[in-house]
Amino acid sequence: MGEGAAEQDKAGKAQGQREGQRRLAQWVRDYRRLPGIPDEFLGPDGAPRAVWSRFFNAFGALAPDEVERRFGMADRHLREAGVTYRAPGDSADRPWSISHLPLLIDEADWKQLSDGITQRAELLELVLRDIYGEGRLVAEGALPAGAIAGSPEYLRPVCGVPPPGGRYLSLYAADVGRGPDGRWWVLGDRTQAPSGAGYALENRLVLSRAFSDLYKSMNVPRVAPFFEAFRDSLRGRADRDEPRIGVLTPGSFSETYFEHATLARYLGFLLVEGDDLAVSDNRIHIRTVAGLKRLDVLLRRVDSNSLDPLELDASSHLGVPGLIDVLRKDGVVVANMPGSGVLEARALLGFLPALSRRLLGEELKMPHIATWWCGQRSARDEVLSRLDEVAIEGAYRRGVPGFDSNGPVLASELDAAGHQRLVDAISARGMDYVGQEVVRLSTMPVWEQGQLTPRPFVLRVFAAATPDGWAIMPGGFCRIAEQADARAVSMGDGARAADVWVVSDKKVSTASLLPATDKVRIRRIAGVLPSRAADNLFWLGRYLERAEATLRLVRALGSPSGPNKGTAASLQSAERIQRLLVTWGAISQTSRAAPGRIVAEALQSPERFGSALSLVRSAQRTATSLRERLSPDAWQVITEMAERLSYEVEDDDSVLSAAELTLQELASFAGLAQENMNRAAGWRFLDIGRRTERAINTARFARQFAYDEAGDEDLDILLTLVDSQITYRSRYLLAPILAPVRDLAVLDSYNPRSVAFQVATLNEHIAALPSLKEHGLIEQPQRLAVAVQSMLATAEAEKLEVKTLFALEQDLLSLAEAIGLHYFPHGPNASRPEKLTGLA
Amino acid sequence: MIYDIRHVTTYEYESPVSFARCTLRLEPKDGNGQELISHKVEIRPRPSERHVRRDFFGTLTESIVIEAAHRNLRIDSRSRVSVERKPPAREAVSPPWESVRDIAFEATSLGPSSPVGYVFASPLVPVLRPVSAYAAESFASGAGILAGAVDLMHRVRTEFRYDPKATVISTPLNEVFDKRHGVCQDFAHVMIAGLRGLGLPAAYVSGYLRTIPPAGQPRLQGADATHAWVSLWCGAELGWIDFDPTNDLLVANDHIVLAVGRDFSDVSPVDGIIVGSPKQKLGVAVDVLLVD
Repeated sequence: MGEGAAEQDKAGKAQGQREGQRRLAQWVRDYRRLPGIPDEFLGPDGAPRAVWSRFFNAFGALAPDEVERRFGMADRHLREAGVTYRAPGDSADRPWSISHLPLLIDEADWKQLSDGITQRAELLELVLRDIYGEGRLVAEGALPAGAIAGSPEYLRPVCGVPPPGGRYLSLYAADVGRGPDGRWWVLGDRTQAPSGAGYALENRLVLSRAFSDLYKSMNVPRVAPFFEAFRDSLRGRADRDEPRIGVLTPGSFSETYFEHATLARYLGFLLVEGDDLAVSDNRIHIRTVAGLKRLDVLLRRVDSNSLDPLELDASSHLGVPGLIDVLRKDGVVVANMPGSGVLEARALLGFLPALSRRLLGEELKMPHIATWWCGQRSARDEVLSRLDEVAIEGAYRRGVPGFDSNGPVLASELDAAGHQRLVDAISARGMDYVGQEVVRLSTMPVWEQGQLTPRPFVLRVFAAATPDGWAIMPGGFCRIAEQADARAVSMGDGARAADVWVVSDKKVSTASLLPATDKVRIRRIAGVLPSRAADNLFWLGRYLERAEATLRLVRALGSPSGPNKGTAASLQSAERIQRLLVTWGAISQTSRAAPGRIVAEALQSPERFGSALSLVRSAQRTATSLRERLSPDAWQVITEMAERLSYEVEDDDSVLSAAELTLQELASFAGLAQENMNRAAGWRFLDIGRRTERAINTARFARQFAYDEAGDEDLDILLTLVDSQITYRSRYLLAPILAPVRDLAVLDSYNPRSVAFQVATLNEHIAALPSLKEHGLIEQPQRLAVAVQSMLATAEAEKLEVKTLFALEQDLLSLAEAIGLHYFPHGPNASRPEKLTGLA
Repeated sequence: MIYDIRHVTTYEYESPVSFARCTLRLEPKDGNGQELISHKVEIRPRPSERHVRRDFFGTLTESIVIEAAHRNLRIDSRSRVSVERKPPAREAVSPPWESVRDIAFEATSLGPSSPVGYVFASPLVPVLRPVSAYAAESFASGAGILAGAVDLMHRVRTEFRYDPKATVISTPLNEVFDKRHGVCQDFAHVMIAGLRGLGLPAAYVSGYLRTIPPAGQPRLQGADATHAWVSLWCGAELGWIDFDPTNDLLVANDHIVLAVGRDFSDVSPVDGIIVGSPKQKLGVAVDVLLVD
């Protein structure tokens, strides 16, 4: 850079700074604080706090359209990465919505907060040890028995069972908010299976990319070291080196499934469901394509009561029968230990200050929201006497017993009858209720149409147990409420999330100390492939290949150079294509009467299970269960195809161009898989699915279009369908003739679209897969694949009969079935564990 | 009184079952007016794993694993038990129920016999306002706990219809209560729900009844299967007293206790999962013969 340019640059910067200051002043003027409520951005004097003014000075220097561009970038990233959550009762995922401004927390302030959380995590660990162990706190009157016994999370089957790995809490989270006194207050403890850490990671990734320069200049500590410490600590908890660790998820219908997949991929753990696991030899094992493999640690996202139908909720299908017994035998580490959720009971909150003095010899560093448990007479009387001033909550879980509300019940909002009912309920069974102080928590700025607006928020802070004490994630999961009371915020209410930046006061001198952005640490998925994942990969491959075949048929039927020229022969060819589409469920029998609609129907009818749209959606559904194994690019391609196909098309031309574009995307997905997917067993199953489906379809096309009397036109269609026009023409320089076409489509093992090529590839894959053989005999999939391959190798095109083609197709179908039975024994068709009928 | 008990549970499966993991709670309790003289369980096919432990409630729990393919499972339990109980008279004087409720909640133990563990909703027994209100009619202010519980038991016996076909194990409590019918298990659950609704500690008891009644007395309802009733903590002095709402009586020497828990889910005599056959036929035969 020349001197002049440097001068210019400097001048530009100065101008930017002035502009930033001007905008900040404007935002401050327009910011309407909620009356009587503290705010993060503006102090009591109405001036912006230091961290925020640093942030907005820099932020304001960005031109307005630049700001919008970056916000758009963040949104696009979220959409493309497919970050979603699912609200209870939703049948589809909702896109994640992020507030584009981070919550800023000053370093000194953060230090206090994290000290408070550290102390609290340690205290809760000690309380759990006592409750499930010696029971001295209850025996000596420090903790009322009822505050524990009433919780559905007090798990009697694990009483007296020391937690394998030595800890109850591996990951703890607290929901906090800033109270009117300016201190951080604990609103609730999350000890069961805290969610949100994965979303926090995703929020950070998005925001640090969109505002990388700003992020850099604010000296924000990365969150990656926290996750590394957490992972290493779980590893260290196992009783062997190189342990196998699984994230136990309820499945893809779970509201936070995306997060489970994110964590599994980020931490390099296996994503498993209860069905994937089995108890054997007092250990937990995972069903893989190579048989049962020991699993050492389970990071669970399934609630305790659903973990073992034998000893806990008998109706649950999410757990593993016998898991609790394995815990008794010290055979698996479960994080957090089942039963840890008992500490989420609000009934306990009031006792923690005394427990802290007793167990830690210290005062609690962080206050929590004032709570009166009505199981105690004095507290009950207090609550009843101030009923209109407090919020009533359930003592042990979310929801107020006897009232249909997910959040707190406010007596002041009830009618006279409701009010009386509340008084009666608390008088009769006070132990089920707590009264909580109604606290006005602080607000933070959100961006709305170029302006800043204050909104209440709740911050979830995470602590991970490590051998060196508790590690606190610098940052956290912030949810912004649209309503005034932030305590009831859950993502289901349409709330937005925000990234959380801990900001240092000190300007850091050397930028090199700062990593540019939080980078995802790519790790290889652990070496085993669960049978369920293999099953899903197999079907993903098949669905996509079937979609491709359907699109090729659509294209052949609809293209102007295709068989729609009105001659008898072309009518017959069209008839054949339509028949295939009917058999595949892409069009209905009746729509054959209305040829104009056929191509559109086969392309995008949501009612036809075999339409290209339905097939791509099936692929998408299957891919959802594979999130931790697919690259974001691959996921994005599938999403785009599903979107494109669901736009209604008007005329044949747009049908064709949609088909064309989708075919290109299918090719790019295939390319991604080929070039980017790890060559572990997972890729093989995707490819096995694709090859199997392609072999079946090609055999079927050959039978349909290369029958004994087939004319030019049908043979030509076959060459198009199997994408072998160019090869044929370069080889034969002739109009299509039966035997060479058959050879090319079926027997030629050098043609990557031929049946023989697919079967040869299948054989390679099967030979490379781990053997499960118990008798030393050749296994069924291999037996069938080898037989088909030798048949194809020895057949002669001139003597090939249609009935042989038909037999070939049947053999390939048997091969597909044999692969399923052999590698996915607990797939959708297999026998699930059934409950024994109970006695009446 | 000494009884010989034979309790045979059979499952017939429509298709072969390749794997079974079961939990058995078949050993009668030892203690509290009952002495276990002998006990033996035979299982066919023979399990590949068997181990016993005491569960939280002190019940001997046997876990078994069967890995051989089978179409029938037969669990044959034989016990010899001596019973000697002296229940209070129905009219006996007892402390006011409110004081029992308050003292129960003050208990400083989470152990299995601590009353505080039995005042809350449990997996099969929710606390429901209508059921609590129903029970409250038996407990006037200051009434003796025994008198109140006897009255509630009597009302359940007379106002509910015994109908083995009306309910299955999964019939929810509110349905049993609304329709006023069910079997011993349902009556026990309803009575427990009512008592807990008032804050009283009530437990669920599973066990047996003698098959042939003493001369001149009617055969008790539920005698040829496993039976269920209610145990209520009646204050420090009286302790746990058992009430049989199906037969409207305070439990004496015709009942043999198998297990005690918060509700059926804690005491289920045979429980488990199998891999193989969704269709299954359950048979239960119980014989309780007076030896001496």
